[in-house]
Amino acid sequence: MTSSTSADAAGALGLPDATVTPPEPTAAAETRKPIGQFADIWLRFRRNKLAMTGLVMVTILIVVAILSPFITPYDAKEQNLLNVLQPPSANHWFGTDSLGRDLYSGIVYGTRIAMIVGIGSVAGALLVGVTLGATAGYKGGAWDAVISRIMDIFLAFPYLVGALLIVRVLGNSVTTVIVALISVSWVVTGRLMRGQMLALREAEYVEAARSIGAPSSRIVIRHILPNAIAPVFVYSFTSIGVAVVAMASLSYLGIGVPADIPEWGRLVSNASNFLQTPGKAFLWIFPSAAIAFTTLGFAFVADGLRDALDPKLRGSN
Amino acid sequence: MGKFILRRAAQAILVLFVATLLIFIATFVLGDPFSSSGEKAVPPAIQAANRAKFGLDKPVPVQFVIYLGNLLRGDFGIDFNQSRPVSELLAATIPNTLRLAIVAILIEIVIGVAAGVIAAVKRYSFWDVLVTVTTTLFIGIPVFVIGILLVANVSGIGPFPAVPRSFTVVVPWYQEVLLPGFTLAIIDAAFIARLMRGSMLEVLRADYIRTARAKGLSERTVIGKHAMRNSLIPVVTYTGISLGALFGGAIITETIFQYNGVGYLLSRAIVNSNAPIIIAVVIFSVFTYVLMSLIVDILYAYLDPRIRLN
Repeated sequence: MTSSTSADAAGALGLPDATVTPPEPTAAAETRKPIGQFADIWLRFRRNKLAMTGLVMVTILIVVAILSPFITPYDAKEQNLLNVLQPPSANHWFGTDSLGRDLYSGIVYGTRIAMIVGIGSVAGALLVGVTLGATAGYKGGAWDAVISRIMDIFLAFPYLVGALLIVRVLGNSVTTVIVALISVSWVVTGRLMRGQMLALREAEYVEAARSIGAPSSRIVIRHILPNAIAPVFVYSFTSIGVAVVAMASLSYLGIGVPADIPEWGRLVSNASNFLQTPGKAFLWIFPSAAIAFTTLGFAFVADGLRDALDPKLRGSN
Repeated sequence: MGKFILRRAAQAILVLFVATLLIFIATFVLGDPFSSSGEKAVPPAIQAANRAKFGLDKPVPVQFVIYLGNLLRGDFGIDFNQSRPVSELLAATIPNTLRLAIVAILIEIVIGVAAGVIAAVKRYSFWDVLVTVTTTLFIGIPVFVIGILLVANVSGIGPFPAVPRSFTVVVPWYQEVLLPGFTLAIIDAAFIARLMRGSMLEVLRADYIRTARAKGLSERTVIGKHAMRNSLIPVVTYTGISLGALFGGAIITETIFQYNGVGYLLSRAIVNSNAPIIIAVVIFSVFTYVLMSLIVDILYAYLDPRIRLN
């Protein structure tokens, strides 16, 4: 660690630069250096190779999703019946499908829909789950009982069964897939949050805040949430991958994202007629790899975050 | 203990009742299956007769009460497409799905526990790295990709029947269930291996393990008897709660392998909007989940008296 970094950290904390004497780059100086909580987390995250690999993977996905129109040589929906089922070549990097559509363009555009559904549904589940879970855990009593029973009911529907049913009822569209995935996944976030809340509600610093007359909304938002949110956040990162797989599974079963939008699960499903045809494996290998890449990327980041947020947990599970 | 079981059972019944109501409302929103319009419209008299046949001519609350009454007698109604009793369809498919689930659970526990124990005992060795890398990969790959891989490369070879296969080919159930069972098991096996590794590492640090070693017990007894028993607890919990997810996976797996189970029945019914089948299968899956979590909770309360007081 160089002295300039420590000066930056001190500057970030609002300390005048003059007070910072360049410390000797020793281990002792490093541990005493005043750095913020986020800088500390980032430092630990950065040391974790797998976490950084995950971060690079996630960044690639997001960049590809944003830039898809600029990095695709063909229109992903354009059919060319004279050029069907071509193996990968210089013109079609990942080959063409049974309607002559360029598979590479399809997968690049599929990234976009995967990111929208994955991040959108998890953000929604966070919002609903954290709000309901936190209020249930903090208030307790009748409100807690009501929320807990509602959670029991939602939890009783297996993840995919619930999502299938909701999409079928609301109709096929990207929005309904997101709504369906929020409905089946907020419960886990809510339960985690409620458990954290129950544990932290009795903490001494919360009691201290209460005794100086802080309103409950302030206690929850300023004091408890920042301490309770870590495991919820870690879970959410993993569940982005889970949501992408769920979306692909729905498409595989023929419902969910409309057929005219390029989507990884449907690309795999379109390949099912050619499973035992030799030389046609490229049809499902590329979209499957895209799904696996996404789940792994987010899972690596989640693992790294867990270790960085709470070093005690390192190596467990 | 009796009081605890009663309270949990009451909660389970409440959940089951509300879930049934929700499914019923959901399928009602799907719309009227017998309405038709345009040039080839079905005459209104026949539409009305069809609705009367399936009891759809009554107000929804009445339909629900009638459905509940029939349900208690084991009558799930008849399906829209071919007018078969849904209870017969369930009776034909549930045993297949149960066999699939049991085979999958056995495979995932055997593979998962073995891999987890090896990784924990030989920590940081080649085997530990191998287990960590493989489990990470398997957790990332969707079930249907694993299923497709197996259909593409393994089905039709040796003891594994081809997919799809003709009606005339009869395959004993234990051959048919192998590949779908493995597909369904593999992701959970990866989860169990990670859980087992983590909890085994934790247990191996405990004082009583040091005591066992200090007494001069063999490593086999220490690991196999003392450490195993306690580190299995999270695995038991996970297997219990993963049963619900197992059913979700079964829909995909059974559809890929065209395996005649409840999941394949549901995926076809959803595509065809066959409401009586959808309602029945979802009720079945919710019932299974509620029953399993009830059993897991009671087992827990039995094993750990502190839980009963909460």
